[in-house]
Amino acid sequence: MTQAEIKLCSLLLQEHFGEIVEKIGTYLIRTGTQPLRMIVSDTGLLLDQVKKALCVLIQHNLVTYQLQKRGFVEYEAHCKRVLRILRYPRYIYTAKTLYSDTGELIVEELLLNGKMTMSAVVRKVADRLTETMEDGKTMDYADVSNTFVRLADTHFVQRCPLVPETPESPDAPPPPAPTLVVNEKDMYVVPRLNLVGKGKRRRSCDEEENGERKAKKQKQDGESSEPPADDGIYWQVNIDRFHQHFRDQGIVSAVANRMDQTSSEIVRTMLRMSEVTTSSGAPYTQPLSSNEIFRSLPAGYNIAKQVLDQYLTLLADDPLEFVGKSGDSGGGMYTVNLHKALASLATATLESIVEERFGSRCARIFRLLLRKKHLEQKQVEDFAMIPAKEAKDMLYKMLSENFVSLQEIPKTPDHAPSRTFYLYTVNVPSSARMLLHRCYKSVANLMERRQYETKENKRLLEKSQRVEAILASMQATGAEEAQLQEIEEMITAPERQQLENLKRNVNKIDASENQVDETIFVLESFIESTVKKP
Amino acid sequence: MAEVKVKPEVPDPMDIENRIIELCHQFPHGITDQVIQNDMPHMEAQQRAMAINRLLSMGQLDLLRSNAGLLYRIKESQNASKMKGSDNQEKLVYQIIEDAGNKGIWSRDIRYKSNLPLTEINKILKNLESKKLIKAVKSVAASKKKVYMLYNLQPDRSVTGGAWYSDQDFESEFVEVLNQQCFKFLQSKAEAARDSKQNPMIQRNSSFASSHEVWKYICELGISKVELSMEDIETILNTLIYDGKVEMTIIAAKEGTVGSVDGQMKLYRAVSPLIQPTGLVRTPCGLCPVFDDCHEGGEISPSNCIYMTEWLEF
Repeated sequence: MTQAEIKLCSLLLQEHFGEIVEKIGTYLIRTGTQPLRMIVSDTGLLLDQVKKALCVLIQHNLVTYQLQKRGFVEYEAHCKRVLRILRYPRYIYTAKTLYSDTGELIVEELLLNGKMTMSAVVRKVADRLTETMEDGKTMDYADVSNTFVRLADTHFVQRCPLVPETPESPDAPPPPAPTLVVNEKDMYVVPRLNLVGKGKRRRSCDEEENGERKAKKQKQDGESSEPPADDGIYWQVNIDRFHQHFRDQGIVSAVANRMDQTSSEIVRTMLRMSEVTTSSGAPYTQPLSSNEIFRSLPAGYNIAKQVLDQYLTLLADDPLEFVGKSGDSGGGMYTVNLHKALASLATATLESIVEERFGSRCARIFRLLLRKKHLEQKQVEDFAMIPAKEAKDMLYKMLSENFVSLQEIPKTPDHAPSRTFYLYTVNVPSSARMLLHRCYKSVANLMERRQYETKENKRLLEKSQRVEAILASMQATGAEEAQLQEIEEMITAPERQQLENLKRNVNKIDASENQVDETIFVLESFIESTVKKP
Repeated sequence: MAEVKVKPEVPDPMDIENRIIELCHQFPHGITDQVIQNDMPHMEAQQRAMAINRLLSMGQLDLLRSNAGLLYRIKESQNASKMKGSDNQEKLVYQIIEDAGNKGIWSRDIRYKSNLPLTEINKILKNLESKKLIKAVKSVAASKKKVYMLYNLQPDRSVTGGAWYSDQDFESEFVEVLNQQCFKFLQSKAEAARDSKQNPMIQRNSSFASSHEVWKYICELGISKVELSMEDIETILNTLIYDGKVEMTIIAAKEGTVGSVDGQMKLYRAVSPLIQPTGLVRTPCGLCPVFDDCHEGGEISPSNCIYMTEWLEF
């Protein structure tokens, strides 16, 4: 774990869970796997606090535990998983685009609570939706359940590992920590629940409903006395599936930029068909025949079969090499070349960073080196058609920032500089790692700036909160217009302006954190795809 | 009965020389000793050698060595007149420079080849230059280096840099202008193809332009005062590829079609970039020059970053 990653993790933990959890989380990330006693002694916190903090972290899948051979339990924090907290807004937004508000709220609840049973999720989401709906309408549990089932079918949510059912053996003492197992087949199976009911609207004071509410409350009490049918079956968000979806989105938009809308739709269809059949780390999707693709095209696109075939041939012949032809049966078998696509996206990201930082001529040199792999100084000038002095300057600047590296090829055994060839080259995976590290630091910087801005204006924020509270209470007790006006004027115009600025700045920084996170995603997926799995 | 003495015909030395010269004209690539002997079998070796030596010293014959032996070649007549009055050393240097062709030769290389001391070389070079037999051309690669070549030869591209250099200066604006013109041409072609809304195959094929088409377009535009060849246009198009604006494919073409070289044709097509500018460069940290010095609590920190302040006020 690099310094930048640890810093970012500690900032995220602090923002979302507070000081104590942050301390323990950072300690575990920094020192690796530790048993409980060590954590307590090294961090200097009370045993009780440490236990509670660990519970929170385990609940959110950030820390896992393992029973060691000697008989004690060790805890391990997953740095990568903590960094995913940054991506939560993107997950929620994706769920919203795919499954509308219901899906959005389900995913949000699951992310905020780590693990939940289905019935709890459905109840909470229905309540929240009912609050936002117009008077008199309520959200039915069945709708929410349906959306939940759809999410599970498309693998966006999955079951958490369970405690296995072991036969009672009175002789052996129960193990200090249960080993959780997850049954592959059942991971996405939704339990059959009979969830009947509607969402409850939360009213602060409404006399009419009081009578109704009392009656409903009694019934609810009756319900909650018996355990819900799916007790013990917890669900969590399947982060890998979301990542697969982001990757597919990236590929489709790249194809749309390079070719046209129809080609991108075809690629999207192919990727959708391979969603559940291809594992997330595979280099190619399963081969799909052109007939299958034709049948699965979305309803709105009625293009003829020959036109589809032509598009597929064009995609396969394109220098991008995103789509490859793997056979001729069934009208032509086509696969999407995932690793190549990720590499192209990562390279395009690198090129865009070089272009924005150093200028378009440097970008020309960079792309030239990417294509030709190794070039001498003179050759770089000739190919890129840039005057010698400027080319030299740009190459040295990029060299100092480690985008470009030198390869020495000596002519003589004594490696004399005047008799050595010096070739410039670009090493893509190492540049990607360097930029990833820079991204982490940038996000940490942005978060710190946001916290600083908020802290600077703390006094003002508190004041505005107080005023709002006074206003609300006065409105509730039915104050006069004039009094309300007076209270509102407690916040002067420049202060109001300042508040506006603060809100705008915080939003801006938030949005840019998400943008940098997109870059992080592309680079991380690429690096992961280059690591050889044992 | 009178004694008839068959006097061996002593061929006239002048005749021998003329005959040899005629033979040389017959075989402009050079004749070997064997050929002369075959032609005049009655000539003695000594007479032959004398004649050849005389021709050589008069500067009418060139002596060359080949793997079959020695070759004699006729020398151009106007050169023969020029060299009158120059001594052997100058002739030697002149010959070395001539051999270098239109690439020219550096003074140090002349010294190696002729084994003459530096001062002599310089004197001879000045002499030859004043006689307008050779000239000095500045090389574009190393601006201090001067290469010498014959006066009437055109310097080779590698020395002057070809179409992109005018008087040793790289013409960057010229290259830029050509760059943009080619790109505009390809872009408009691609747009026209896209708007035609036909069958995708035809659409794509019509958005391609071969290097020959681009060359013709640029020639017709007339923005270049220098004559540009197809290779020049191809180097310009390559820079567009390195800019990421254009992609190239090579297709096999019949020999006879216009613009095909060795049975292939290069086609170019304007493309739009693969992704939008990435997230990292939209924040000040992505472009910050003092990124490595920035940490919390230091002189440069996120809290007092002036770049961020400016960016937030946008």
